Amino acid sequence: MQKVCITGMGLVSSLGNMPEELFSELDKGSCNFKFFEEWESYNGLETFVAAPAKEFDDSSLPRNVRRSMSRMSTMAYDATKSALKDAALSVGRNSEENDLFKPNHHRTLVIMGSTSGSPIFLEKYFKKMIENGGPKGQLSTSFFKVMNHSVAANVALALGYSGPLISPSSACSTSSQAVIMGAELIKAGLYDVVIAGGADELHYTSVSVFDVVKASSKNYNKEPLKIPGPFDANRDGLVVSEGAGIVVLESESHVKERGGKVYAEFMGGAYFCDGIHMSQPQAEQMSTTIEMALEKSGVSASQVDYVNAHATGTKVGDLQEALAIKKAFPGQDIPVSSLKGHLGHSLAACGSTELIAMVEMMKNKRMIATRNISSVTDEFSGINILKENVNAEIEYAVSNNFAFGGMNTSFVIKNLM
Amino acid sequence: MEKQLIVDGINETLSEEFELGIDKLTPDAHLFDDLGLDSLDAVDMLVHIEDKTGVKMDVEQFQKVKTLGDVYDLVAEVSSQSKLN
Repeated sequence: MQKVCITGMGLVSSLGNMPEELFSELDKGSCNFKFFEEWESYNGLETFVAAPAKEFDDSSLPRNVRRSMSRMSTMAYDATKSALKDAALSVGRNSEENDLFKPNHHRTLVIMGSTSGSPIFLEKYFKKMIENGGPKGQLSTSFFKVMNHSVAANVALALGYSGPLISPSSACSTSSQAVIMGAELIKAGLYDVVIAGGADELHYTSVSVFDVVKASSKNYNKEPLKIPGPFDANRDGLVVSEGAGIVVLESESHVKERGGKVYAEFMGGAYFCDGIHMSQPQAEQMSTTIEMALEKSGVSASQVDYVNAHATGTKVGDLQEALAIKKAFPGQDIPVSSLKGHLGHSLAACGSTELIAMVEMMKNKRMIATRNISSVTDEFSGINILKENVNAEIEYAVSNNFAFGGMNTSFVIKNLM
Repeated sequence: MEKQLIVDGINETLSEEFELGIDKLTPDAHLFDDLGLDSLDAVDMLVHIEDKTGVKMDVEQFQKVKTLGDVYDLVAEVSSQSKLN
């Protein structure tokens, strides 16, 4: 069975658009949570905080490509372009980048998705449909911005990529599922190269989803930088952000043959739907997912040095995940942190973005602690929730991501730097 | 509607919506070959021109236009016919 290597990384995030910049900001404990005064006018909304992405450059995209792209598609394209450049690969049909390796496009897969087509343009699309009592006035390109596979299709169009393409969608576990599925397909020998990840854009309707189920932070609207971090005793909910995280996965034989660099080995992962409740996290099923990921990876719990938690800052979710980690890593007092207190929750982008952050932690031999965490209740005993950044070698790390619908995912990576 | 008003309105719309320089918007400019538009743009152009001028054109008639001058003429013709009706 082929080994899977991580050979390229690209992102757009609320803390920077280069992996090195992301790590530097995480290390400083930075956070880009902002108060959105204009959201106060939305009837019923109580959360007015979110984390917008840093500026990114989409000026190189021609109009006839941009016309069908939403913000999430342009972010995904920017991250994909960066990831391919980082991997020194080119997948465009007419690419003239002679210094980049061109993989066989029959054995290359693009797999990326988002939570929905585009909340920004979905609102515009249906608003016009309702106002006009039908499709009068709709542009031909409107639907291409809101269809569920808009991100994947637009990235392919913008790259000039002709080849296999899959668009998964499972909200906050979209990109972790994409990466796990991509790695499994390389292991199965079907592809040499997989470009995997996800993207989501900020919009008040996405925030509303969490507001309605009482899962978003509401008590610190005017002081967003004081929002307690995940696992903190006073946590009051999550903060929605936006971005795109894209990684290049490659079979070991392919990257060796072309002489490419390798960051880490993607050991394996698992996705496991609990089928019990649409929104209540289930510790037992989460722990099964982690154990399955370890088993598929051939890695024992005792070999793992660090767990990057999904923990978003909700009362129930953080606790259920902590219980799951405790069960999967018994008696280890394993170091655990969540990056949602720095980055916010970028939904479909979070799994792959956190994967990139984990690789940077491995590279810099430093574990990033959860931001804004002062006290932890006894419920969390048995795992080592990091309150301060720690210098440490990380050989094996586990990442968790969970989503509405009981969509649990976990994966394991190994440091090869 | 006066022809010049139609020309100005269409040019303004094309410049805004399709990011075309005003200097390129000449009557003999071919929509596809010179202005780089395609079939999707043509569909959207119909919507934008209707929004701007209030003139609703028949899709089959619009499919016959080749140059920007053809667009001006068609909009002017439909506009004058709708006045007569």
